[in-house]
Amino acid sequence: MEEHSDLDRPWVTVVWNDPVNLMNYVTFVLQELFGYDEPTATTLMLQVHHEGKAIVSSGPRERMEHDTSRLHAYGLWASYQRDS
Amino acid sequence: MRAFRATRSGEVVARLDPAEAGIVGLLLDQLEQLLAADADDVAGDPVMARLLPEGHRGDPELAADYRELTETSLRSGKTDDLAVVRATLPEDGGEIRLDRDQAGAWLRSSNDLRLALGTRLDVTEDTEPPAEIADEQDQQLAVYYWLTSLQGSLVDALAAGRGGRS
Repeated sequence: MEEHSDLDRPWVTVVWNDPVNLMNYVTFVLQELFGYDEPTATTLMLQVHHEGKAIVSSGPRERMEHDTSRLHAYGLWASYQRDS
Repeated sequence: MRAFRATRSGEVVARLDPAEAGIVGLLLDQLEQLLAADADDVAGDPVMARLLPEGHRGDPELAADYRELTETSLRSGKTDDLAVVRATLPEDGGEIRLDRDQAGAWLRSSNDLRLALGTRLDVTEDTEPPAEIADEQDQQLAVYYWLTSLQGSLVDALAAGRGGRS
């Protein structure tokens, strides 16, 4: 069996809960930036709100950096990391 | 204040009282100064840390890479948004009428203003609007909640416009 190496794991962009950003704003931004439909964006927003964080995109590192910076431009509390 | 609403032509409109327009102007001044400050002078400032957060948690090297890659454009984006808000803010109160791009700038800037105020005031999920204005802190908190309702109405107006409804 081939070992599943660290390099195979994709990168993800995570949005973290924060006390300032409005729920309808977070939903709106996720739709705007990632093209999610409203139910999907709402589900992700609620996951951030209730569980403290949600993965909003995944892919190569460079793209996750880019997604993180687009979220930062809207003031969402985001970071990217290797998928765990 | 008359909250934001979508018009049939695809614009969003709101109306501010003179005092409200004045407060927004002052907050914009403060944000502008902060964004224009030398990075070394505002290092460790909690508001800056919130406006330009770390891109990666736990790996200082990746976090530094991210900052180098993105900080300049994030700063200039925020400064550009702020200029749009200033240009469309009726200085002595009155109607705000925004096209889609201008509304985007208002959305991001008003959020930055709320993040800055919320961070300074240590707002948590349990924070409540002040029952009475007894001191400076209550005053600032009242401004924070006023901005919250303004921004909330802008989000709703834009979401309504996106759905093709007016």
